[in-house]
Amino acid sequence: MKTPLAWKNLVHNKVRTSIGVAGVSFAVILIFMQLGFLGGIIHTATQIYDALEFDLMLRSPAYLHLTEARSFPRSRVLQAASLSEVAEARSFYLGLSEWQAPASVPAVESAKTSEAIEEEGDWRAIITMGTDPKDPVFNRQEINDEARKLSDSTFVLVDVKSKSEYGPADDEKFSETDIGVETTLGPHRVRIVGLFELGTGMASNGACLTNPEGYVRACPWQTIDDVNFGLIKLKDPSEAELVRQKLLSIYGIPSRDEKSTFSLTAAALTNTDVEILTRQQALDREEHRWVHETPLGQIFTLGVWVALFVGVAIVYQVLSTDIANMMGEYATLKAMGYGAKYLTKVVLLQAVLLAVVGYIPSIIVSWGLYRLVEKLSGMPMNMTPGIAALVLALAITMCVLSGLAALRKLYQADPADLF
Amino acid sequence: MTSQTTIPATSGAFTGGIQMPKTVKVQALNHFFGEGELRKQALYENNLEVRRGEIVIMTGPSGSGKTTLLTLIGTLRTVQEGSLKVLGNELCGADRDLIVRIRKEMGFIFQAHNLFESLTAYQNVNMAAELVGLDPMIAEGRINSLLTRLGLGHRIHYKPKSLSGGQKQRVAIARGLVHKPKLILADEPTAALDEKSGREVVTLFQELARDEGCTIIMVTHDNRILDVADRIVNMVDGKIKSDVAVQETSVICEFLKEFPLFADLTPNTLAEVADQMMVHEAQSGEAIIRQGDAGDLFYLIRTGSVDVLINDGTGDQKVAELNQGQYFGEAALITDEPRNATIVAREPSVFYALGKDEFRAVLETSATFEEELRQALFRRQ
Repeated sequence: MKTPLAWKNLVHNKVRTSIGVAGVSFAVILIFMQLGFLGGIIHTATQIYDALEFDLMLRSPAYLHLTEARSFPRSRVLQAASLSEVAEARSFYLGLSEWQAPASVPAVESAKTSEAIEEEGDWRAIITMGTDPKDPVFNRQEINDEARKLSDSTFVLVDVKSKSEYGPADDEKFSETDIGVETTLGPHRVRIVGLFELGTGMASNGACLTNPEGYVRACPWQTIDDVNFGLIKLKDPSEAELVRQKLLSIYGIPSRDEKSTFSLTAAALTNTDVEILTRQQALDREEHRWVHETPLGQIFTLGVWVALFVGVAIVYQVLSTDIANMMGEYATLKAMGYGAKYLTKVVLLQAVLLAVVGYIPSIIVSWGLYRLVEKLSGMPMNMTPGIAALVLALAITMCVLSGLAALRKLYQADPADLF
Repeated sequence: MTSQTTIPATSGAFTGGIQMPKTVKVQALNHFFGEGELRKQALYENNLEVRRGEIVIMTGPSGSGKTTLLTLIGTLRTVQEGSLKVLGNELCGADRDLIVRIRKEMGFIFQAHNLFESLTAYQNVNMAAELVGLDPMIAEGRINSLLTRLGLGHRIHYKPKSLSGGQKQRVAIARGLVHKPKLILADEPTAALDEKSGREVVTLFQELARDEGCTIIMVTHDNRILDVADRIVNMVDGKIKSDVAVQETSVICEFLKEFPLFADLTPNTLAEVADQMMVHEAQSGEAIIRQGDAGDLFYLIRTGSVDVLINDGTGDQKVAELNQGQYFGEAALITDEPRNATIVAREPSVFYALGKDEFRAVLETSATFEEELRQALFRRQ
């Protein structure tokens, strides 16, 4: 067995290796955080869509993003329901309203005087959703079960992921003890009758669910005949494109080139009040909108690049110092007759080992930081296998490229000049 | 007439008859350091030939270019101008693959030991053994025996950090020798060693040269090990000032001492005389000097034999036969008279010849023997 020089070098000088590992870890954590933020944006964009049951989506051509959905006539949803391929065509209301944090004392006692209401907490923007309690739109059984409780327009369900500033009784998160609490949503009083778990996002730190009448109470600028989304479930999901074409002709919208999918002007040109998207289109557009068109998305996309550059700079510095320290030894190997291939192998193996050893503590620290950021800012941060693998690949690439760059000197110089 | 060459007698070029291929052949080698305005010449038109199995010691003041020449031979620097052949390969303009191949056939012992701090003495030496694909079992035996011989038997599995300077140096020497290189280049190999280990190292060198035909070139200031040198090369200011085969010079000195007029000379002066002699070659039957010619050279027979013929008016009469180590031609130089005999080679022969002026100068020197002694005593202080 050949002498494992790369490994011996790393193990031998523990101080130097620790500094190297710390440098790599720092760079990796930086990248993890930025990717986490970007992931949070993407997650924000799609987490509510992910919880909705639909194969085709109807929405306003003026749609911007989830909380700027605009509205279109409910008759379009009813028209779609008439198609034989359609299993369900449901209306879904979603908009931002205002939520006043409930008083910390039980509502039944405090409601006795009007002053008590004045003592209730701060106002917060909240995502308000409206669904028919008899036929809820979610693809999760537990949410649908809770939604059936929304028999009155004054009843609301609260997302347990809503932040503490929305006024849960225990000042932490909404739980069973908050059921029965009254507060104000928009201009009217509502009562919390249940809980659901969906998760919030960058647009708002809280969410609540009510029935269509309740939604119109909370968002009085909208009528019950103006819906934000039409969610169409097909008998056969593979027919999505076929049904989409049928609906286009029913609505009298000329079929347009798929390439202009992201064009918002198309609606203006065709002068129609609705657009139809497949599930995948809706998810893709939402992600594109958040990542590429909102300032937050752009900041974090840029952040990923900045983190990469900073990471490369740090790793290069660490590795090139490491190699410079051992230049005499490597030059000796070269002088003995070891070829460029062997030297490259040793240095790159050392770089990869450093990358992997640096990666392990980073992923643990990053996971902790994700939880911390999520708790503090409400941004959904998920350490997905995709992010973990991507960062590992990036860390190894950074180390290998830096190692190669640092090796140039060894390749070019005569050994005698390096001793 | 004999064919006169420009080869000095002391170069040893004609020792041992048939010439073997040279391990190292340096021709018109120049080397420069720096670029543009700062470009400075370090080596000037150097020529050197080293034969297989020879031990060459390079000396000279620091900055004279010894190490530069050594690293050039060792392929550790790129050859810029001139020709440098090592183990039959031209290094000037050689590609990387060739250089890597040649390096594997050499053992370089560096002034800075350059051991891997992360590896033990054994592993450091093993790096050289692995490179040439030495069988691990054989390698293990060789490494252990080498390190033990060098007095490191009890330190085989120590890392350089726990070894003294001299011990590290010896590990580096073992690393340079373990793969039985054809050419060993050593830069001050004994500098950090005590006399006993230094002696052991040069004994190892001698064994490798004798048993394996390994050629050794070392730069050293250590006069304790001069005795192992087959050849001493002296460099000054980037030029090889003298290149002397020790054995051959000693042979010439022994021969010269037989000449009565030179008998009083010190070894130092004798060596200087030897230095001034040039090689002459003659074929069988060729006349080296003729009776009646003006005398200009003094001859020493290195190899072969000659007939001495005297023409007394009735034709050439053979009066004597001279063999290796004997000399002729001195009478005409001393008396300033024409040659009193004809000398004809009996077989292909080699002579070392000393010019008339040099010959006379030596005789003058002989008179200043006392003076030389004074000088020697003075330098002792």
